[in-house]
Order: sequence, then structure tokens, then C-alpha cells
Amino acid sequence: MNTILNDGDGIRTAGAYPVLECHKVSKAFDGVRAVDEVTLSCRPGAITALIGPNGAGKTTLFNLLSGTLQADSGDVVFKQQSIRGLPQWKLARNGIGRLFQDVRVFERLSVLDNVLVAAAGPASGSIADALFRRSKISREQRVLVDRARTYLADVGLLEAEGRPAGTLSFGQQKLLALCRLLAQQNELLLLDEPGAGVAPAMRELLGNVIRTLARKGCAILMIEHDMELVKGLAEYTISMVNGRVVASGPTAAFLNQAAARRAAAGL
Amino acid sequence: MTYLAHVINMICFYALLGTSLNLAVGYGGLLSLCQAAFYGFGAYATALIMMRSGYSLFQALPLAMVLTMAFAFIAGTLLTRLRGDSFVLATLAVQLIVSSVLYNWTDVTHGPYGVSLPRVISVADTALDVPEGYAIVTITLTTVTLLMVWRIVNSPFGRSLRAVRDDERSASALGLQADRFRLTAFAASGGLAAIPGSLYLGYTTYIDPTSFHLSESIVILTVVILGGAGSFWGPMIGALIVVLAPEGLRFLPLSSAATANLRQILYGCLLIGLMRYRRQGVIGEYDFE
Repeated sequence: MNTILNDGDGIRTAGAYPVLECHKVSKAFDGVRAVDEVTLSCRPGAITALIGPNGAGKTTLFNLLSGTLQADSGDVVFKQQSIRGLPQWKLARNGIGRLFQDVRVFERLSVLDNVLVAAAGPASGSIADALFRRSKISREQRVLVDRARTYLADVGLLEAEGRPAGTLSFGQQKLLALCRLLAQQNELLLLDEPGAGVAPAMRELLGNVIRTLARKGCAILMIEHDMELVKGLAEYTISMVNGRVVASGPTAAFLNQAAARRAAAGL
Repeated sequence: MTYLAHVINMICFYALLGTSLNLAVGYGGLLSLCQAAFYGFGAYATALIMMRSGYSLFQALPLAMVLTMAFAFIAGTLLTRLRGDSFVLATLAVQLIVSSVLYNWTDVTHGPYGVSLPRVISVADTALDVPEGYAIVTITLTTVTLLMVWRIVNSPFGRSLRAVRDDERSASALGLQADRFRLTAFAASGGLAAIPGSLYLGYTTYIDPTSFHLSESIVILTVVILGGAGSFWGPMIGALIVVLAPEGLRFLPLSSAATANLRQILYGCLLIGLMRYRRQGVIGEYDFE
């Protein structure tokens, strides 16, 4: 067991140090609490599913964790340091990666360039480098291109490396977006509905990539509506309703309880 | 031969102006309407350095480029935080401010009377007072500048800049500081515009504010959009069309004043046609929404 989950009543802990700790984080829009005192944490190598109906505050929580939004109260601690107020690009460089629900690949860039942008990270270059340090850049690029091609091969997109990313199918674009996260070598991944809109065969491939990322020690927090995917991937599940965490636990037990409740209610 | 050399010089000036603007518009997604302001700033800076320090054109050019880049950086610090229509309107304001300063700061710019160079440009004691001789200088500097830009756009910086252009939020999620890339592209774009500014000054040996109006910014934008924004060769194709197409008007039985107005109408029609039928230009990567 290597995830801490907290539904507000108490923290269940096990395994290694948590890479992410979220303490009573809240965010309101026009007086409506989209995220209401959410507390949770994630440990390296664990996949945690975040489930709940539309409007439960899951994506808002992701926006708070990734620096797109700033919380009204509470604190988020990543690698034992508060990340409150830090912009998204700084958090990304610190090791928080994000897969968007609508994918957001760089459509006019080639598939390979998409991965290279992620692989380069902080070494994303300057004009001075481009003009005066060509040989250094060439050496670095050769290494990055080799790495990027390995990741593309892992997700089956190597043959498409020269194509503009916008010409890929939606499922392939999701794979490419995951491939960028592979290249980025994050310690925490926030995946917003990785299985949505993807054909079953490709969903299996996506699942394998997510498992690979977790095996490499990455903590994964994943919003997902597909319960089969949740059952197949996540060790822990957190349920949110109206901005609050209402239940959490090991996925198998959690889903069994939910099924039992539905059966008892005659649903 | 002199006429042909003149046309070559003009194509090079517009290719340089288009290439400089393409860095901001095509690669950075920053639709700017103030390129003529940087072009003019570079030209006036070169003239003032030459007149006050006695430097040659080729000594003054790098200094003017640095000054123009610094000016574009300061303007960009404010502007590149804006997005979409707000950014476009703010660049329009910069253009109008610079035009106004060129007209009214008469102690420095001599206002509408303009600035004349005290001597013709020469290289190794050879006066370049004919278009043929000057074309060699123009072509050489154009080639060097294009090589520099080619290196920039095909570097990791260029790739990251295009990523920011395509999807700023996604780029930020991958660790790219979008504002830094936008500002750098805007400042570099302005600094590069000083090169055709200096060259134009050396070619005509006289400049006045009329050459750096908003209408000139629109012509430069036409060069970029016509050839294809976000394509390295696009501004070259755009410059060829923008310089050569009005040359056909010379053969019409019209006064020179009417021809000048027709030129503007022709550019306007070209822009409207492009936006309607081919927003990515002849060979562009980036199209306008």
C-alpha cells in the first residue's frame, strides 16, 4: 500500500513518503464552492482514481494542483514544499505533469517535435544558443531525439513521427500526450479522463502506458468515469461530490461497497 | 539594369521586414501592427548615430539594432502580457505613438522635414550611390540575416516558441514559460527590423516619418500573410509579390499619385482575398482564426 487517502475524518497511511499532500484546499467561484476543504495525498508508484459526477470539482482540483488556479485556502505540498502561488510552468519543471481532457497536442508541430518540447524541459533553448552554440545544441538534440523516438516506439507512434500532430486520430493524440509525459519524467501525473473518447483497443494501450509510468515510480492521480478502467488501473479511489471528498478507499473494496449500495437500493 | 537593381533592393528590404515580423506573427502567434515603428526606430537610430558620432553605416547598424531591440523589449514587457484583440490594439497604439514622436520631436527627428545623411554610403572607398552597387550590400546583409533567422526558428527555441503559439496552456503544462518566449520573439522581431531600417536609410540617404506609418506596418503584415506566416520562405514569396505586383501598375496610363493609391488598394484587396480563401498564405504553416 503506498497511497494516503483522507476523506476528512482521518488519514490512512502506508508505504513511502507522499509526493503530494493536499490539506483542506478550497476554491470558490462567485460564492459557489467548487472545491471544498479537500484533503488527500499521493505516493510514488501509486495510481489513484478520482471519480464523481460532472461538476463535482475534479477538474477544478486538478487546476489547483497544477498551478492553473490558486486556492482560496488550504495548502498543497509537493515533495515536502508548499507550491501555493507557483505558476504552472514552474510546477511542471518541478515534476507535476498533466494530461488534459481535451488532449491539447501542438497540432502544427510534428509528432516528434511534440515529444521533443516535453523532453527538452528547462533546456528549451534561447536565441543566443541558437546563434552561437550550435554544436552544443546539436549534441544535446541527438540525445533528445533518440530518447523521444524510444518513447514514441513505446506508444506505437514512431512511424508517425514526421506527421503534424493535428492529423492524428483522437486516440493517437492521447497516446502522444501521454508520450510527452513519459519524456518529461515527472514525479506526479494528473490525468484528466485518459480513457474518454478512445477505442477499446487503444484504451488497453493507454492503460499499459499508465501502468509503466507508475512502475517507474510516478504518483498518478486520474479523473475517470469508466469504472472498468478504474478497476483495472487504480489501487485507490476517491469519490467527490459537490466539491467535497465523500468517500475513499482501496478500489476493489470501494467498488464492491458501491455495488452493494446500488443493489440494496434496487438500482 | 538600374531599375532591376532597385527592384532587387526593394525585394530585399521587404523580405527582411517580413522575416522579422514573421518571427512574432508566424512563429510566436503575436499579430503585431507596429513593425513599421521598429523599422523607423532602427532607421532614425542609425541616422542619429551616424550624424552625431561619425560612425559609418555598418558601425551604426549593430548599435541601432541593439537600441531597437531594447525599445521592443520595453514595449513587449507591457504588450506580451496581453492576449488576442487587446494585444493587436496595443501594438496599434505603439505604432501611433512612434509615428507621433517622429513627427513632433523635431529637435531630434527634424519632424516632417526628415533626416538627410551628410554623405553617401561607401565600402572600401567605393561609393555605393547607385542601386547596382548597393544591391550587393543589401543581398549580402539579407543573406546573413536570413541565415540567423533560419538558425533561430530551427533551434529548440524556435520549436518551443511554436509550441507556445499553438497552445499556451499545454506549453506551460510542459514547463515552458510562455511569456518569456513571447517577449523574446517580440524583442528579436523588433531588433531585426532595424536591419532593413538601416539599409533603407543607406539606400535613400534620407528618411522622414511618412515611410514608417501604420500603412507601412500593414504592408509588412501583408508580406507575411501573403507568403505564409510561420514559414521560413513565406516572407520571401510575400516580398516578391508585394514588390512586383505594383510594378505592373507602372504600365497603366495613370499619374504617380494615383498609382500610389492603387498600390494600397491592391494590398488591401490581396489581404481580404487571403483571409477569405487562403488564410495560411502561399506556403504558410500558421493560419489566422
